[in-house]
Amino acid sequence: MIPLLLGISLISFWIMQLAPGDYFSTMELNPEISRETLDRMREEFHLDKPAFFVSIDTDDGWSIGFHWDNQYINWLGEVIAPEFDTLVGIPIIRPRLNFGYSFKYHVPIIELIAERLWNTLQLSVAAILLAWILAIPIGIYSAVHPYTRADKLFSFCAFFGMSVPGFFLAFLLLYVASVTGWFPIGGLQSINYDSLSPLGQLWDRLHHLMIPTLVLGTGSMAGLVRLMRGNMLETLRAEFVTTARAKGLAEHVVVYKHALRNAINPFITIFGYQLSTVFSGAAITEIITAWPGLGRLMLDAVISQDLFLVMGNLLMGSVLLVFGNLSADILLALSDPRIRHE
Amino acid sequence: MSKSVHSTILVAVIAGSLSLGCGEDTTQQSTPIESSDGLFTPEIGTHGGSITISESSDPKSFNYMIAQETSSTDILKYSFEGLTGTHGVTTEVIPLLAESWSVADDKATWTFHLRKNVQWFDGMPFTADDVDFTFNRLVFNPQITSSYKDGLMIEGKEISVEKIDDYTVRMVTPVPFAPFLSQIGVPIMPKHALESAVESGKFNETWGINTPPKDILGTGPFKITEYLAAQKIVLRRNEDYWRKDASGNSLPYLDQISIVVVPNQEVELLKFQAGELDAVSVRGQDYPILKPKEREQNFTVLNDGPAFGTSFVAFNQNPGRNGQGKDIVDKKKLGWFTDVAFRRAVAHALDKETIINNVMNGLGYPQISAMSPAAVTFYNSDVPTYDYDLDKARQILADAGYLDQDGDGVVEDKSGNTVEFDLITNAGNSTRENIGLIVQADLKKIGIKVNFAPIDFNALVTRLTKTYDWEGLLMGLTGGVEPEGGRNVWVTKGSLHFWNPQQESPATAWEAEIDSLFNVGVQELDPEKRKLIYDRFQHIVAEQLPVIYSALPAYVTAVRNTIGNARPTAYARGFHDMAEVYRKDL
Repeated sequence: MIPLLLGISLISFWIMQLAPGDYFSTMELNPEISRETLDRMREEFHLDKPAFFVSIDTDDGWSIGFHWDNQYINWLGEVIAPEFDTLVGIPIIRPRLNFGYSFKYHVPIIELIAERLWNTLQLSVAAILLAWILAIPIGIYSAVHPYTRADKLFSFCAFFGMSVPGFFLAFLLLYVASVTGWFPIGGLQSINYDSLSPLGQLWDRLHHLMIPTLVLGTGSMAGLVRLMRGNMLETLRAEFVTTARAKGLAEHVVVYKHALRNAINPFITIFGYQLSTVFSGAAITEIITAWPGLGRLMLDAVISQDLFLVMGNLLMGSVLLVFGNLSADILLALSDPRIRHE
Repeated sequence: MSKSVHSTILVAVIAGSLSLGCGEDTTQQSTPIESSDGLFTPEIGTHGGSITISESSDPKSFNYMIAQETSSTDILKYSFEGLTGTHGVTTEVIPLLAESWSVADDKATWTFHLRKNVQWFDGMPFTADDVDFTFNRLVFNPQITSSYKDGLMIEGKEISVEKIDDYTVRMVTPVPFAPFLSQIGVPIMPKHALESAVESGKFNETWGINTPPKDILGTGPFKITEYLAAQKIVLRRNEDYWRKDASGNSLPYLDQISIVVVPNQEVELLKFQAGELDAVSVRGQDYPILKPKEREQNFTVLNDGPAFGTSFVAFNQNPGRNGQGKDIVDKKKLGWFTDVAFRRAVAHALDKETIINNVMNGLGYPQISAMSPAAVTFYNSDVPTYDYDLDKARQILADAGYLDQDGDGVVEDKSGNTVEFDLITNAGNSTRENIGLIVQADLKKIGIKVNFAPIDFNALVTRLTKTYDWEGLLMGLTGGVEPEGGRNVWVTKGSLHFWNPQQESPATAWEAEIDSLFNVGVQELDPEKRKLIYDRFQHIVAEQLPVIYSALPAYVTAVRNTIGNARPTAYARGFHDMAEVYRKDL
C-alpha cells in the first residue's frame, strides 16, 4: 500500500509540473508587482528549486540535469519525516504528515481541507443514500416485473437521468426554485441561520441540501437501477432459481434470499469504489449550487496550480480509494462464501 | 481567470432558456441606462439594518499586507484604512487616518498629522507607532511578501518613515515623487497585535483565514465577526468609528454587511431576482434579462460608464534573438510590425461598434486612450482616433506598399511576402475569444490573414515574459487611476513593455519621449502640469499605436431601491463608500 501511495504522489507531482508556468505566473502580468517580489514569493515556497529529479534544458541545445534537492523531495520529506509523539502515553514514531501551505491561502493544507470536509461528507452521503435506497428496490421491481408499464416507465426515467448532464439539471432546478420560491437558491444555510430554533436550523440545512442531493443522486441512481435490473434479470433466469422455485419456495424467498444475494456482488465492489468519492466532492454541482465543499476547492486549486493543495487532496483521495477497495473486498467475502473459501 | 473558465462553459446552455421570456429586448442595442452624473452628494441616512451582497470566491487571507486577490481585499477594505484614501466617485485623494499633511519646499519631505480619536477594534489607541510599524517593519521588510513595497520604491530606494511624536509622522522620498499621496494609502496594521508575529518570522502565515475573526484588528467602519469557509462573511458596525456624516451623525449607517460566496454568476443573478441579494453586478448578457423587471422587483440598473482595465491588440516588435540565436520575430514580419502605417491600417479596420454590440450586448465603450476613462483625473479624451473605415485602411496599406499582387485576396509586402500572422490570446475568456474572431474577420477584409489561437493563460505568460515567442497579441491589463502604476508597461526598461521589453536604450524616438515623460511626470507635484505630461503620453500612444485598443465593458450594477446612497463605481468595485450606504425601508 505504501509503495502504491508513493507512486501515486510521484506521478501526480510530475503531471502537475507538465502544465506551463506556476501559481505565480498570473501575477507576472500585473504591472504593479515587480519581478523581485515575485521571486521572493517563489522562494518562500521553494519554487525556486528544480521541480523534479530530472530537468531538460532546451535553451542552448539539449542538456539534462539531475537534482536531488528538488521540490518533490522537499514536499515528500515534510510528509514522511519521522516525528516522536505519544499515543495514549506510549511513545511512538509517526510520520510528520506536514502537507505544507497553500500558496493562495497561506494556511496549512490540512486546515483548508478539514473545514470543508464535513460539508462534502453531508452532500455525498445524502446523494449516495438517495441513489442506493431508491435504485435497489426499483431495480429489483423492474427485474421481477420485466416489460410491464412500470418497468418501462422506470427504464425511461433511468435513461433520462443518465443522459441529463448534472450541471444542466442543477440550473434547471435552481431556475424552478427562483420562479416558485420552493427552495433556497444555493448555499448551505440561510443568512439568518443563527437566529433559527434548533429544529428550524435542521430544516434549513435539509432544505438547502435538497437540490444538490437530487442533482448528484440522480446521475448515480440511474446507472444503479439499470445495473440492478440487468443483474437481477440474469440471475432470475439462472438454473438455481428455477430449482428453488421447483422446490416450492415462496417467491419472495426465491427473489430476496437466493437471487438477490447472487446479483448483489458487483454492487459491493461499486460501493467500495464510491467510498473514495465520498470525500472527493463534485466540483461542478458544488459550484453551481454554491455548496461549500471540497470539489470546488480542488478544482480552483488545479486551475490556479496551487500545487501543495492539489497534492494533499490527491493523496487523501488515494488513501480513501485504497481503503474503499479493501473494505469492498472484506464485505464481498462476508456476503459471498465462495470468495471466502478461496 | 479561473472563474470565467468554468462558468462560461457551463452556462452556455442555460443562458438561452433563461432569456426566452424577455428575448424581444435583446435586439435593441443602444438602450439608454440611467447614467449617474459626476456630482454626488450623499444623503443623510438612518442607522440600522443590513445589506447582503455577494463575492465570487472566498477570501484567501485576512492579512492585508500579503492579500493579493480582490476576493480578500474586497472584504478587508471595510476593516482597514490607510493614512490617505481614494474617493470612490471622484478618485481624488482624501484624508483618512492622517487628518492633514504638508510638504516642505524640497518637495520630498512630507509631514502627516494623524487623527487623535481613532481606536483599534480592541480599544487600543491608534498612534504614530502603528504607522512606523506598518512601513518600516512590514512594507519594507524583505521577509514579507507584500507587493505594496513595489509602489513605494523610488528609483530603487525606500521612502524613509520616521515618528516625530505620537501623532506626527515624517516621510522623506529620495526624490520628489508625485504619486506619493495615493501610494502611501497602505492599510495601517496594529503594532500591538502583530509585532510578535514579525519577530518570530511568522508574519506571512499570521491572520490567515483560519484566524478567529475577532482577532483581526483594524480601524475601519466594519469589523469581521464571522467567516464560514466557502459560504459567507459577516461584518458588523464598528461602534467607535471616527467618521461622521454632514450632520454630525456617526457612521457607518448599516449594522451589518453579509457577503455570501456565490461562485457562479448565473446563480448570483437568480439569487438577486429571488430577493436574496441587495445588489449584483450585471454583465452585458444579463442586461436584457434584468432591465424589464426593474419596476416589478423594485431595483434599478445603474451604469457607471467604462470599467477599468484595457483590451488591446499588440504586435511583437522585438528585434532581438532568443537563447538559441534565432530571431525572436521573423525579419519580414518584424518589418510589418514596426511599420506604424501597418498598425494604423489595423486600427482603422478594427470594428469597435461590432465588438460592443455583439460581445458586450451594447454595454461597452470604444477605448481610444492608454488610460481608462474610469481613471477620471488623468484620462485624456483628446487623442488621435481611428474610426472604422475599411477603404482608409486599404489606402494606408497600399500607400505603404502592401498590395495584393497575385490576386488571392491577401496582400503582399514590397518583397512579395504574404502578410499573415498568428494572433494569440488566453483561452477561457469568452469575451476576448469573441473579440479575436471579430478582429480576424475585420483584418481579412483588408487582406491581412490572421491565424487566431487562444492558448492557456500561463503558456501565454511564458511567451510574453520569457521566450518572447509571439507575433500578434490580444490581451488586457488591469489599470488604475495612477499613470505611474503603468510604468512597467510604458517605459522601455520595463519587463511588461511587452512589444519590445527591457531595452538597453530606447529603440524609437517616441519610446524615448515616453520614457522621459514618465521620468518627469513622476516628480511633478503640480497636478495641472502633471496632467499635461500624461496627456502628451496618451497622445503619443494613440499616434504610434504600440497597442491598438478595442473596447471596454460598462460597469453596470443592479441595486435594490431600498438601498440609499447607492453609487457603485468601477474604482470602488462596488458601492463607492459602504459607510455612507443606508437602508431606506427601516
